[in-house]
Amino acid sequence: MNTIKELYAYRQMIFSLVKKDLRGRYKGSVLGFLWTFINPLLQLVVYTVVFSFILRSNIERYYLYLFVALIPWIFFSSAITVGASSVVAQKDLIKKIYFPRMVIPISYVTSSFVNMLLCFIVIFAVIIVTGAGINFIALLALPVIMAVEYLMALGMALLTSAVTVYFRDMEHILGILSMMWMYMTPIMYDKSIVPDELLPVFNLNPMTHVIECYRTVLYNKAMPDFSSLISAIGFGLFFLILGCLVFSRLQRHFAEEL
Amino acid sequence: MAVNDIAIDVNNITKSFKVFPDKGSQLKERLLFRKRNRYEERRVLRGISFQVKKGEAIGLIGHNGCGKSTTLKLLTKIMYPDTGTITMNGRVSSLIELGAGFHPDMSGRENIYTNAAIFGLTKKEIDARLKDIISFSELEEFIDNPVRTYSSGMYMRLAFSVAINVDADILLIDEILAVGDANFQAKCFNKLKEIKAKGTTIVIVSHSLGQIEQICDRSIWIHEGLIKAEGDPKEIDLEYLDFMGRKLQETTSKELEEKQSDEASETEQTEEDTAPEQEEETAPEEAPKRWGNGSARIKKIRAYTADGSQQKVFRTGEQIVFRLEYTVNKPVDDAVFGIGIFSRDGIQCYGTNTRIDKYEEFRLDRSGTAEIVLEDVGLLAGEYLIDFAIETGDGIPVDYYREAYKIEMINSIGDVGIARISHKWNIN
Repeated sequence: MNTIKELYAYRQMIFSLVKKDLRGRYKGSVLGFLWTFINPLLQLVVYTVVFSFILRSNIERYYLYLFVALIPWIFFSSAITVGASSVVAQKDLIKKIYFPRMVIPISYVTSSFVNMLLCFIVIFAVIIVTGAGINFIALLALPVIMAVEYLMALGMALLTSAVTVYFRDMEHILGILSMMWMYMTPIMYDKSIVPDELLPVFNLNPMTHVIECYRTVLYNKAMPDFSSLISAIGFGLFFLILGCLVFSRLQRHFAEEL
Repeated sequence: MAVNDIAIDVNNITKSFKVFPDKGSQLKERLLFRKRNRYEERRVLRGISFQVKKGEAIGLIGHNGCGKSTTLKLLTKIMYPDTGTITMNGRVSSLIELGAGFHPDMSGRENIYTNAAIFGLTKKEIDARLKDIISFSELEEFIDNPVRTYSSGMYMRLAFSVAINVDADILLIDEILAVGDANFQAKCFNKLKEIKAKGTTIVIVSHSLGQIEQICDRSIWIHEGLIKAEGDPKEIDLEYLDFMGRKLQETTSKELEEKQSDEASETEQTEEDTAPEQEEETAPEEAPKRWGNGSARIKKIRAYTADGSQQKVFRTGEQIVFRLEYTVNKPVDDAVFGIGIFSRDGIQCYGTNTRIDKYEEFRLDRSGTAEIVLEDVGLLAGEYLIDFAIETGDGIPVDYYREAYKIEMINSIGDVGIARISHKWNIN
């Protein structure tokens, strides 16, 4: 409870770190902030070429099918991989001055989240341009899904960033782990092609539920499956609490370890 | 003492650091080199308790490595104690590392916002203080330029202005008043007094006992992780100085004994030893700061107070005696001895030599000692670096030793500048 109160007091710091991160991300590049949009669009082109012309998936409007899952995934995976080194990256600050340490992963995840929201502009542009259509009622569920994913990503980032301080290999392990995780989540393919024996694993994967929800709303234009949504919320809260507990235990010795 | 009168309550804290001779933080290293993971535990604090009342100012003193800076870091919550508890009542601001989070490409104004946010201020609170911060830093014209264009003095001024305008209930300070030029230092000092008068609790860690005496109500002397004494700064500081002086004497006499026994066992080795004995305190940095033809060398420098006790810290107005031991390799017929005293920022405060003072030139044909007695040294609080030199009569350096010695002056009166000019006021 005290932690929440303190974090609220430091909201200006979170805000300014997010701003600094967003502004600094493309600093010095010619296209600057446009990269926020260009990057996912180009990724979309690559995946569409591979899966529509070479591997030939028979999913209708595959580019959209993929896109609505890929953007949320990029946010999640950057939260756990880049987020993991966020605390180590700010070691000068941590060794010098007191502030609630959670501010750092929170800011990082928040700025990635804002980035994802901007990418959603591109998603909606694609939907409108291609005439895929939108279900406005189902769209009401979108903020809930986003919030759940945010909490999940934050929980994971708290966990990985705190562990990385003590164990620097974590950054590299997480790179591989997140790639494996991506292929174990129905992003590029449909869950229906997953063999029955493997289904329990997929159902235990919290991202499966999140991705399914996004896809139902934006691709299938329907309200998300209630059980998927509940599972996603459950996982989200679980990771958040776990992340907070681990982080607050480990943060006591940050200054000495860094 | 009523509970709500207490700003800081430190209850029996201990802290150890693990010292790894060679630490691997990667899995491979951890597994392969298990043996390397052996570490020593260094106990820095061995059980310290004290309380600070609201509005009180205390100074933590002690020699390097005694645990005073660690105590301060524990108070800021950058680190946590192993055992014991610390309770802080109120908003804490620290002047420990100034300019945390400054971004060189952002303007001074933007950096004020970032930096103040790290102290936990909201945008509204920063807006309200912005004018004060800028005017205190005296950077009005430059405030919208990127910080990378600032000189280091401007940078520190900005950083200090933010930290001091946070309006904390508790202010923690580590060796702070080395900021900027003498004018700005005086301004900071006055601001500190003003803040104290407003009822802010202050904890200062400093080597400069003069600063502590001027601002603090109480000194706590930490020695080897324990509180050795606490009380009125004037008394505690004297006790501390006395102790440090005695310690200095002990170590030097021990060295002398060692040296003598060395010489007894290795009689043949005495001749080649032309380089001066590297006494850590007397020679902060040697090679590039020393030149001369080598006919004679200054071997050892010591400073004494009027009563003959060896010291490195003196009070403004005291007598200081420097005694030089020199060795002669080749006789010098017309030697002149010189001294130069410089402040930390390189200003020469005084300089003279035996020629200026109309002494006959000296003939040096064997090793000996030279003494200069400085009466009533008016240098004000701060650190001073001292050059010593031996020259020939026509100005050829024999041994010119820059920054050969360092002393600290302390001054509990509070006058400012470089040196005290004796004075009186006549006011009608």
